[in-house]
Amino acid sequence: MELIPPVLLYVLVDFSIYLIITLSLNIEAGYAGLPQFGRVLAVITGALVAGAIPGRMLAILYGYPYGAEYASYEFNFKIVNELNILLEKNPILSAGIFILTLIIAMVFGAAVGYLTSRPAIRLKEAYLGITLLAMGDVVMLISLYYSPIIGGTTGVMVPDPFRWTGPQRFAAATLILLGLSLLILAVVERLTKSPFGRALRAMRDSEIAVTVYGRDVAKLRTYALIAGAAIAALGGALYSFYTGSCIASTYTRVTWTFWPWAFMMLGGTGNNIGVTLGVLVFVVVKTLIVTYRSALAPYVPFDPVWLEYTFVGMAIIIIAMFRPQGLIPEKPVFTIPRKKIEKFIAVFEKT
Amino acid sequence: MLPPVAVAKAVAYADSLALMAAGITLIYMCTRTFNFAHASFVTWGLYIAYAMTALVGGTPYYYLPLSFLFVGGLGLAVYLLVIGPLMRRGASPTTLMMSTLGVDLVLLSTIQMFTDFLTRTYKLYARRVVLEVYDFSIFGLPGITFISLIIVVALIAVLHWFMVKTKFGTAMRATIENPDLSSILGINPNVVYMASWFIGGGLAGLGGGIASLVITGDPTVGSRIVVSMFASSIVGGLYSIYGSVLGGLLVGLTEYLGIMVLSMQLGGWILTYRPVIPLISMAVTLLIYPRGLGGINWGKILLKVRSLGGKSWS
Repeated sequence: MELIPPVLLYVLVDFSIYLIITLSLNIEAGYAGLPQFGRVLAVITGALVAGAIPGRMLAILYGYPYGAEYASYEFNFKIVNELNILLEKNPILSAGIFILTLIIAMVFGAAVGYLTSRPAIRLKEAYLGITLLAMGDVVMLISLYYSPIIGGTTGVMVPDPFRWTGPQRFAAATLILLGLSLLILAVVERLTKSPFGRALRAMRDSEIAVTVYGRDVAKLRTYALIAGAAIAALGGALYSFYTGSCIASTYTRVTWTFWPWAFMMLGGTGNNIGVTLGVLVFVVVKTLIVTYRSALAPYVPFDPVWLEYTFVGMAIIIIAMFRPQGLIPEKPVFTIPRKKIEKFIAVFEKT
Repeated sequence: MLPPVAVAKAVAYADSLALMAAGITLIYMCTRTFNFAHASFVTWGLYIAYAMTALVGGTPYYYLPLSFLFVGGLGLAVYLLVIGPLMRRGASPTTLMMSTLGVDLVLLSTIQMFTDFLTRTYKLYARRVVLEVYDFSIFGLPGITFISLIIVVALIAVLHWFMVKTKFGTAMRATIENPDLSSILGINPNVVYMASWFIGGGLAGLGGGIASLVITGDPTVGSRIVVSMFASSIVGGLYSIYGSVLGGLLVGLTEYLGIMVLSMQLGGWILTYRPVIPLISMAVTLLIYPRGLGGINWGKILLKVRSLGGKSWS
């Protein structure tokens, strides 16, 4: 008996992961106005951490090989299988490893964000976009072909920290992911409403104005990139944990950079609630295409799965042309909750 | 020593990159749009050459003009349907870049569908395109090396003549310099932009057609080499077509031959890291001289060299 139907699980997982990544993109591209065309770089950093570190930590703890041979396709599945049996009996260790890995992923992500900020404070627009895109591609290629970290083209298995939940493993993991993504939404919403978030918007709209008010543009860009990359790395690590495997070829430019851009543009650039709606709409439509793929197949001379790309591409074009503000446009921030302001006004009007 | 055939192939590859980079630069100079869809443009150029060769017969050489025209038309359509309306609305360069990304995804899906169509209807192995067998050889070297070199030289000559001698070329240069001022003088910038997208797209298609004789094609070939194209444009400086042609030649040769030399020295494992080379050349350009090869004042350097040789004019 399944607690949640598989289709719904699929939608929820995609929604959670892409929500985290699109929110991180929204900080950099939506709020700070940076042409972040290398989102995949931070995502793959998180996936690398999840693929390489928790398994090795456990391997050291239980006396399994943890060097380059850990990532070798001959040993990896044996080691990880035995580690999973150990984890199944030990929920506390599972949770500990899970949380520790997420923290490490965020630290590595932040470091990558700092590295990308070095060109970002000098370059602009097309130059910066291309540099970020190329950096993401190169890291993907290196992790795909350099086998000692995550096994190169064969990939590695990731120890499963949800195994102790028993037969409802996927449902439990999905709910944890969903919870985390909503937590990130709350954090990002706070962050973007803070003085820092408002300074980012000001920088996006006019760098000169924000400099006049005493904010350092280089620092603002650096912090935005660090925050965005840390959150994106968290998303990458979570995705690896959920699927239980980590292989570099999953992390392509199209699925982890271009799609989040489309989601963000549809929902509303610079509006976290809008982004959430955008991700939900896209994920549902994507799932519908995949689900009805076989029903559509006899009528077209090609694999209907490509319609996904057509759909995402068309959506980007149409949004850019006819509704650049997205489904839910950006709104000015009320620094004091609106209700309080209204209360004040009511009080003032009475006196 | 490097085998001569490898050097010849490197030259042909570099030539195709030079054409692609020239297209990117032309479009960027005229419409301030960094065209991500160039990846799919190139793939379409390659697939036109392939499909015609497989279905009609002959060699891919016959269909190079068709690749140029088809992808040029594609570029024109992209300008008329997407970029033009966006520019008239005053969209930012990032929005323009983003919308070409959408175009790229749509075109990528059409290529995938076309490939499926070829595979199912004509029972072709369209997901793995090898056309090198159709090439002829001159002195034991692949013919595409000579043909592509001739095409690149002719391209530079024709573009130079077009830009300097014809009225439309002059109008084009004026629009690049200052669109507002040139439109006061009666030049329609829209026509200039249309021309730049047609020629730019056509060059991508031509580059793809040439590349079909050098590299193994598949529906994602464009997005695999797109970083090399971008790197070529950036090395070339993004503000000069001659610079981008030079950048394409430089990046293509370093990439193709550099990795070969490295693999001889260090072993075959390094071959997979080939895409790192264009990135390094791009990073070096941006760090040392962001204006790129096109920004160097060659005349001044030439004068200095001459005066060093004691043959100064004055």
